[in-house]
Amino acid sequence: MANQRVLPQSKESLLQNYNKRLKDDIRSILDNFTEIIKTAKIEEETQVARATQAEQDHYEMHVRAANIREFVLADQLVRAGESLMKLVSDLKQFLILNDFPSVNDAISLQNQQLRSLQEECDKKLTSLRDEIAIDLYELEEEYYSSRYK
Amino acid sequence: MANERLRALEDVEKEIATILQCAGNIVLELSKDKHNASLLDRQLVQFQGSVNRVESELSGQIRYLTQVATGQPHEGSTYSARKDCQMALNRAEYAKVKLGELGRTCEPVTIFY
Repeated sequence: MANQRVLPQSKESLLQNYNKRLKDDIRSILDNFTEIIKTAKIEEETQVARATQAEQDHYEMHVRAANIREFVLADQLVRAGESLMKLVSDLKQFLILNDFPSVNDAISLQNQQLRSLQEECDKKLTSLRDEIAIDLYELEEEYYSSRYK
Repeated sequence: MANERLRALEDVEKEIATILQCAGNIVLELSKDKHNASLLDRQLVQFQGSVNRVESELSGQIRYLTQVATGQPHEGSTYSARKDCQMALNRAEYAKVKLGELGRTCEPVTIFY
């Protein structure tokens, strides 16, 4: 059985879009996390590097820039996480509407349960009818053989 | 089957939250003067594992949807079975009402002198 099926363009492009979003978000998470860790790396001080005032100012500027960069990277990391959550929500919706094997199974199961409930109901009504018919026969016999008829 | 796939997607959402939490814990630990190396290793392993699991699970779901999606709306329905069941319950309810009336009719009448 051929697994390739011709999907309407909109559905195919939608699924390709999901794939692209997934890859982009995962890449964004990994890249941003790696960059945050790299930014947090502290260089070891050697004997040669003695901080003068200018070097101290320069170092402070570098640290502040690194902090800002870290905030931006952390923000991008969180946004990638949010984008992944949105993707999962879209996939859930797509699954509910388009997963025909599951929908068919759910419909079959529901039909089976409803039909068995209906059969049980009718079976009990039928047995009730039979019992009442027997009692009615006896009551009629009693009534028509009495002086009150 | 549908519930299992939806449940799997809910687990993926929890894994995404774990990813962000692990990243936060790692950065928090690195900000301290003395790092706990074993904690960092554990968090990093958990982070990588969660990322791999999320990617593989979502790829699997998209691959499955590519195979089963037809682009057409589903036209199945449980309407007829539901209607038949509702009519059977109505019959049962009607029989119950009639038996109730019969029971009240047959109750012994108390005569006050």
